[in-house]
Amino acid sequence: MESRTPFAHASEAEMARILDFYDVRWEYEPHTFPILWTLEGTVVESFSPDFFLPDLDLYLEMTTLRQKLVRKKNRKLRRLRELYPSINIKLFYARDFRALMLKYGKVALVDGLSGSSGQVAAPHAPPPVIDLPLALDEAPVAAQVSPAPYAAGTTAIVVAGSIGTGRRHRARRTGTPAEPDAETTGR
Amino acid sequence: MTVRTTDLRADVGQILLTEDQIVAKVAELGARISQDYDGRPLTLVSVLKGSLPFMADLMRAIDLPLRIDLMEVSSYGGSTTESSGLVRILKDLSASIEGEDVLIVEDIIDTGLTLNYLIRYLRGKNPRSLRICTLLDKPARRLVDIAVDYIGFQIPDQFVVGYGLDYGEVYRNLRFVGVLKPEVYGAGDPDAPDGAGETVEA
Repeated sequence: MESRTPFAHASEAEMARILDFYDVRWEYEPHTFPILWTLEGTVVESFSPDFFLPDLDLYLEMTTLRQKLVRKKNRKLRRLRELYPSINIKLFYARDFRALMLKYGKVALVDGLSGSSGQVAAPHAPPPVIDLPLALDEAPVAAQVSPAPYAAGTTAIVVAGSIGTGRRHRARRTGTPAEPDAETTGR
Repeated sequence: MTVRTTDLRADVGQILLTEDQIVAKVAELGARISQDYDGRPLTLVSVLKGSLPFMADLMRAIDLPLRIDLMEVSSYGGSTTESSGLVRILKDLSASIEGEDVLIVEDIIDTGLTLNYLIRYLRGKNPRSLRICTLLDKPARRLVDIAVDYIGFQIPDQFVVGYGLDYGEVYRNLRFVGVLKPEVYGAGDPDAPDGAGETVEA
């Protein structure tokens, strides 16, 4: 584990601290899943869930945007589930994060950890795209054209490969957040 | 700065489960548990503090030779105690559970993080069996999928208090389970309709 993980957002660092506290192993953005290709097979859109919890075989994606602004992320998540039905992923919305902070008595910190105010200024390199061979003979999903965000005239097509649980993919990085937090007694 | 005065009943916006509903459900759970264990001795393990009222009522609804024990584990967050960065057992079992039939008694399960930790801990003590009973289940918040053997009520994704459940250590003594008004905890979620999205777990 690296001692410090360069989280893209303060809410992610907080989630990592919570997972650490409850002794749940996590990996930060270990896998990137292509979700849109050109006809030539070039990946034009991909999705990197924030966390993978290997012991639970669960991906966790966090968004602290306001609910009405998460449409794009919802779309990507739907696409991911269509293309990779075997993976388990949960989307943690802003309201979920608020609830979690409320539960742990940290609701006052929500505003500072959410939305644009919670973004980390340091550059955050995206994880590499997993070079998955498309197993078209295994479980191809119907092609789907997606208009945006590509230039006019670009034809984009989705072709599904198939993967397993994600365990077989190499983790990009793991780590623990910088600052362990205080604790209090249970509810 | 305005200091808010706690008003136990007025702070509750909606009664989710009445006292009568809780009493009936506890009796039902007790009967099921008694039947399932079929006369075998049972150890109930309650997790402080929220599950105390449920434990006290449930144990009297079970017709089995019973032993009870209490545990307390630290919860993430807050700043009232020393920071270790890891969950800690604040109060451990007072007796061995090796070879025993054990039933964990919880007040509410939402993310499942605490319970997941507790299950792993208790399994390490080699009980004969380990099952889970919770009065309230909030599946919408689940992070860790845990098979729960006895569920009293599945509840919506709302911040509930009463019958052991607290906010800031208050409201535990309410005889019902109610939804706390968002203004009480000083933060409504503008995206959450009808108070949804605010929740709390033991």
